[in-house]
Amino acid sequence: MQRMIPVDKLARPEDHILIPSQRLRAARAEQGLSFQAMPYEEDFLKARLHGICAGEFQAMEAAGRTLYDFPDAPWEFQLDMARQVWDESRHAEIYLKLLEYVGSWYGEFPEGEVLWSCTQAEDPAARVAGINRGLEGLACDVFEQLIRLAQKMGDTVIERSVDYVLADEITHVRMGSKWMRKLTEGDPERLRKAQEFQDSIDILFSFGGGRPSVEQVPQVKQRVAGKEFEFDARTPLARESRLLAGFTEEELDRLTKAATRSTAY
Amino acid sequence: MSELGVRAGVMGPQPIASRRLPPDSLFEAARRIFTLLIGGGKTELLAMTEPQAHDQAAAVADSVKPGVYNSGTIIGTARSANHYFIKARLTGENVEPFKFQVRLGENEGRWTIREALNLTGVRSGWSK
Repeated sequence: MQRMIPVDKLARPEDHILIPSQRLRAARAEQGLSFQAMPYEEDFLKARLHGICAGEFQAMEAAGRTLYDFPDAPWEFQLDMARQVWDESRHAEIYLKLLEYVGSWYGEFPEGEVLWSCTQAEDPAARVAGINRGLEGLACDVFEQLIRLAQKMGDTVIERSVDYVLADEITHVRMGSKWMRKLTEGDPERLRKAQEFQDSIDILFSFGGGRPSVEQVPQVKQRVAGKEFEFDARTPLARESRLLAGFTEEELDRLTKAATRSTAY
Repeated sequence: MSELGVRAGVMGPQPIASRRLPPDSLFEAARRIFTLLIGGGKTELLAMTEPQAHDQAAAVADSVKPGVYNSGTIIGTARSANHYFIKARLTGENVEPFKFQVRLGENEGRWTIREALNLTGVRSGWSK
């Protein structure tokens, strides 16, 4: 049975534009823009919500694929993955509605493949380490920032919707932490490999060496959805949410250090 | 009774910003590309291509069999800031459709090709 299916086997509507992330970066660089869209440019909110929405679809597919790929995994593991598929599908619906709310639609921007590339692990322990701890951990950072942004905007629709999703993401990280440990019990080598896979993803998404805490992140003047205010110049590490999700202080310190080794940005 | 098919006619939060639709001039540029590809106008096509994409645009033009396609259709568009990706298909009688994708950017009121990709025979733009 084929595991780790390539990204171009994911089903998408024909009218969607699918672009490898490297080409997306090139398109932005040609316009004199950084990959992160920070400090916030016009339409930042649309592009950010679109990226998250696409991420929710890929997360749904990834959890479903994990369920399918490892039929011999414990029944409780399969139940957790099935639950995650349902959660992610609900998140995708929420973000589809948020896109409409900010005057966008799914397909307005291209979809990249970089998240799916983080699912490519043969071992279920590594798979949950990468997806549930690496990617969903990143989601905690991005969502927490989005909630604070919505609070600055005075927008309770975005604030509450994203808070609802963040609560689920925290449980997904916890599932990842639980299963990474459980599946590697008595096998330190397997645990080491799973952690290494997660590290590679953490480094990929460490945003060019800048993962300060929420308290330390530099503030710059931003204009979002027609409102001007001081806000984060970067995406900080959501320490509180990540601790709630089961990351240890040591892991968070490692994440901060990993930020200096990013090759992605 | 309110028209439920219209967002403004139903209860709940209303959009806080309007949609930004691709400009008509972009579609005109796309139609021009169709005409040039169908008619074998490689030189003119390259004239509307930025230097860094000449090889890609030439490869797409060379892949289009002359005289067999008679129409072009835009399948989808997406933007990255102010550049637009366009996925399109050329069709003709008794010939497999030719699918390709270009990125267009505006320069002094003129849309030019910034990258081009032949999508025929590959599963998607993600295929490497």
